[in-house]
Amino acid sequence: MADNRIDGYADAVLAVAAAEGESDTVEDELFRFAAALRSNDDLINTLSDPQVPIQRRQQIVEDLLSQKASAVTNAAVSMIVAAGRGGDLPVIIDSVIERRAASRNRAVARVRSAVELSDDQKSRLAAAIKSSTGTDVDVRVIIDPSVLGGLVTEIGDDVMDGSVRHRLNQLRESFR
Amino acid sequence: MTRRIRQFAAVAVIAGAVVVVQAAPALASETIGSCAFEKLTEAGHEFGSVDALIEVLEQEDHHEELVKFEDDLESCIEAPSPIIPEVNEIIWGGSAFLVLLFFMVTKGFPAVRGAMDERADKIRDDLDAADQAKSEAVQIKSDHAAELAGAKAEGAALIDEARSQADRLKADLSTRAESDIAEMRERAAADIEAGRVQALADLRAEVSQIAVGAAERVVRANLDAEAQRSLVDAYIDEVASTNG
Repeated sequence: MADNRIDGYADAVLAVAAAEGESDTVEDELFRFAAALRSNDDLINTLSDPQVPIQRRQQIVEDLLSQKASAVTNAAVSMIVAAGRGGDLPVIIDSVIERRAASRNRAVARVRSAVELSDDQKSRLAAAIKSSTGTDVDVRVIIDPSVLGGLVTEIGDDVMDGSVRHRLNQLRESFR
Repeated sequence: MTRRIRQFAAVAVIAGAVVVVQAAPALASETIGSCAFEKLTEAGHEFGSVDALIEVLEQEDHHEELVKFEDDLESCIEAPSPIIPEVNEIIWGGSAFLVLLFFMVTKGFPAVRGAMDERADKIRDDLDAADQAKSEAVQIKSDHAAELAGAKAEGAALIDEARSQADRLKADLSTRAESDIAEMRERAAADIEAGRVQALADLRAEVSQIAVGAAERVVRANLDAEAQRSLVDAYIDEVASTNG
């Protein structure tokens, strides 16, 4: 999808969330939903499959979000799926998060961890990143059991991998 | 041919007629009996009669008359001269010879000469035809010999060409076979080396997979909440200590 179209959908979502006064909630719920989508290829394929009727795809989204997300988040995702852009949901949500962070002169640090981080850990991590890169970041944590232990931080195209999985991969490569 | 036969038949008839005519005077010539009869008659006249002659001859004292009479009789049986014929024979024989010669000269000889000339012409023509045929045969033989020589030369050239092609083909095949063998050896060696490398890599991958799997199981078993917190804290400290 062209960047303009993605940005357009992202701006629409942000405008609706701001109008409803639920920007933080919507951003957080969309981030979690995007993480769930990225970990489930079948779900993305179903939402982007033109053979599946729009109503069926909207029903799937509603079933997933009705009990776990706000009505604004539910309506925003349903609107994107109804427009036939279900396959672009992850990049649209990324754009929403990045544009909102950019509105506050901040960047998004996507942190993958095997366990949930405490607020203290998040704030110390943000401070450490600020100290290392000079950039204020919003820390967004994605629970990823494949990490095993430690953290993987992505800021834009930069990756700081301190996971146990990375150490094991290095160990595997050392055998070759 | 018919004309020649007629001529020969005429000559034969004439010759037969001459012989018959010549034979007639010969039949009329004196015989031994008549000669003896004449001698006896003459002796009878001399002694008066034949009976008187016989009586005289039977007497022994007339021995001379007996010898004379015997000589007269023996003269009758003397052979004619083998060299000199009788005159009448010469006349008849000469006449027959002349007649025969005349017919032979006028009829026989021209016919014989014509037949001989015709025969000679035919033989000459046959000889000419034979010479022509011989020359043609010689020409055909020489042509065939030339063709045979050409065919032999062409065959020899074909054989040489085929042999040279076979040699070239043999050399090409040999070279190609050697090249193929060398290539196959190189390929086999490369395959063996690749197989060895792949087997080694597979073995290493297997070993690393086993080792890493074992390490991961050990890590998972020891990653409790405290360990997780320690890892996160260590990561944060590491990031903080890194200057971008």
